[in-house]
Amino acid sequence: MSSFGFGLVTAAVLALATVGFTMQFAVTNVLNLAYGSVMINSAFVTYYLNIHGVPTWVALFGGVATGAIASWLLNQFVFTPFQRRNRPPITIVIVALGVDLVGTFGLQAIVGGSYVSFRQSPGHEYHFLGMFFSGLQLVILGIAVVVLGIIHWLLRYTRLGKAMRATSANPSLARNSGVKTKTIISTTWLISGALCGLAGTVFALNTGVFEATSAQLYIVLLLAAMFLGGPGEPYGAMFGALVIGLSTEISAAYVNPQYKEVIAFVALLGMLTFRPYGIFGSEKTL
Amino acid sequence: MSVDLSKAGMVLATSDLSAGYDGRAIVSEIAVEASPGQVISIVGPNGSGKSTLLKSLVGVVKVLGGHVKLGDADITNMAPEEIAKLGVGYVPQIDDVFPPLSVKENLEIGGYLLARREIPARVDAVLEVFPRLKNMMTRKAGKLSGGERKMLAMGRVLMLSPSVLVLDEPTANLAPIVATQLLEEYVRGFAEHGSTVLLVEQRAKAALRISDWTYVLGGGRVVLAGAPKDLEQNPVFVESFLGGGTRPAPTK
Repeated sequence: MSSFGFGLVTAAVLALATVGFTMQFAVTNVLNLAYGSVMINSAFVTYYLNIHGVPTWVALFGGVATGAIASWLLNQFVFTPFQRRNRPPITIVIVALGVDLVGTFGLQAIVGGSYVSFRQSPGHEYHFLGMFFSGLQLVILGIAVVVLGIIHWLLRYTRLGKAMRATSANPSLARNSGVKTKTIISTTWLISGALCGLAGTVFALNTGVFEATSAQLYIVLLLAAMFLGGPGEPYGAMFGALVIGLSTEISAAYVNPQYKEVIAFVALLGMLTFRPYGIFGSEKTL
Repeated sequence: MSVDLSKAGMVLATSDLSAGYDGRAIVSEIAVEASPGQVISIVGPNGSGKSTLLKSLVGVVKVLGGHVKLGDADITNMAPEEIAKLGVGYVPQIDDVFPPLSVKENLEIGGYLLARREIPARVDAVLEVFPRLKNMMTRKAGKLSGGERKMLAMGRVLMLSPSVLVLDEPTANLAPIVATQLLEEYVRGFAEHGSTVLLVEQRAKAALRISDWTYVLGGGRVVLAGAPKDLEQNPVFVESFLGGGTRPAPTK
């Protein structure tokens, strides 16, 4: 049961990250493989604010803002120019991969290769039903529940959320209905980027110690969770994150924890082979 | 149709219009005009450029030459969302709804340019025109039948009370009885309530029955135009479109 508890926290972090990742894919058709790099850069901004005296939960907003601004800039100055020239999706994927490497190793060149940690105590330990959580982990779980609830509210009940879903489903028809899709796409990058920054910070908080390349393999977990739930499906992403988060942590109780990403990769291959549009997606999604 | 959803119609006209993709014209030298209270239909064989012409009017396809005018305003190559704002409602032939969104959400997106407080009343008004949609408000648009889907597509554009309705083959893939109801009750009804209706239709006979004027496209150009009763007397038209002989070969 204790690994189930770890799995829940891992799933919460992964859900925050995957929802942002899949929103970018759904609304802008970009498979942003640089997502992990933006996550870890955001985490380092939070970290530097933190070690300069800003309390962790206040510094976190710095990480969120970094994720939002970096993602918006990436779309505006890297992905959009390629899309405007009608480059095929594979070109965008390769560009994103390049950005990921530049972002990660550029950060490493600046901050060095040492592990760092926040000035944040893990807090008291709490036991429920055979699972144990630190106070910090409970806060992370709480943040995930609240933020994912806000995303649900945004997508279901607000004009902006409906316009985002309409743009994702049929951008041309959305424009004919009066939706300024360029504005909607920019806003999507800001919101999904904020989620990316938040996920990066809570990921770093949850792992305890981290360095510039800590999120490099995280893209495998993100892809696995996204394809499991259905590409471009925010609710599918939440479900996929739960399954991948739990399965990787529970399996880590039986096999070497270093193989966590391998478990996720096997899940990804399985989905791509048997149901590439995921559990919540439809064939049309791809 | 008892509910008036349309603003006073406006004249939609093109002059010497050419439009197409990647700089290559699919339609050329097109001059058409649609006036308020009228159904203007465009018929022609597959590949004659009918859909491209409509798309160029609503900003989806680039106009390469000539002009599109809405009333006195030149709307040539204006962004689709700006054209919608000016009162032109467009129902494409395919991909005419947002499949993952519910019927209610599709209508709400149709009213995207309205003030939030105006939307519920407008949804109610659209539901009076298409009462069948009332019982399926929470159903996803992707789960509707062809006829229901087309009603939703039209309901979506009616949300903004358009002055001009541009309809691309609204009866495609519909059963004949549903197609007839859609054309005679709704499309004709919109015009009778003052809207300008520009209609592309494969079912030439049905289109003529509800039209005030018809343009015939062939090879990306207007090859014939006239009132339906005159076209019905034209042997070339009858042979090509009303089942009197072989259709002209596609030219695209």
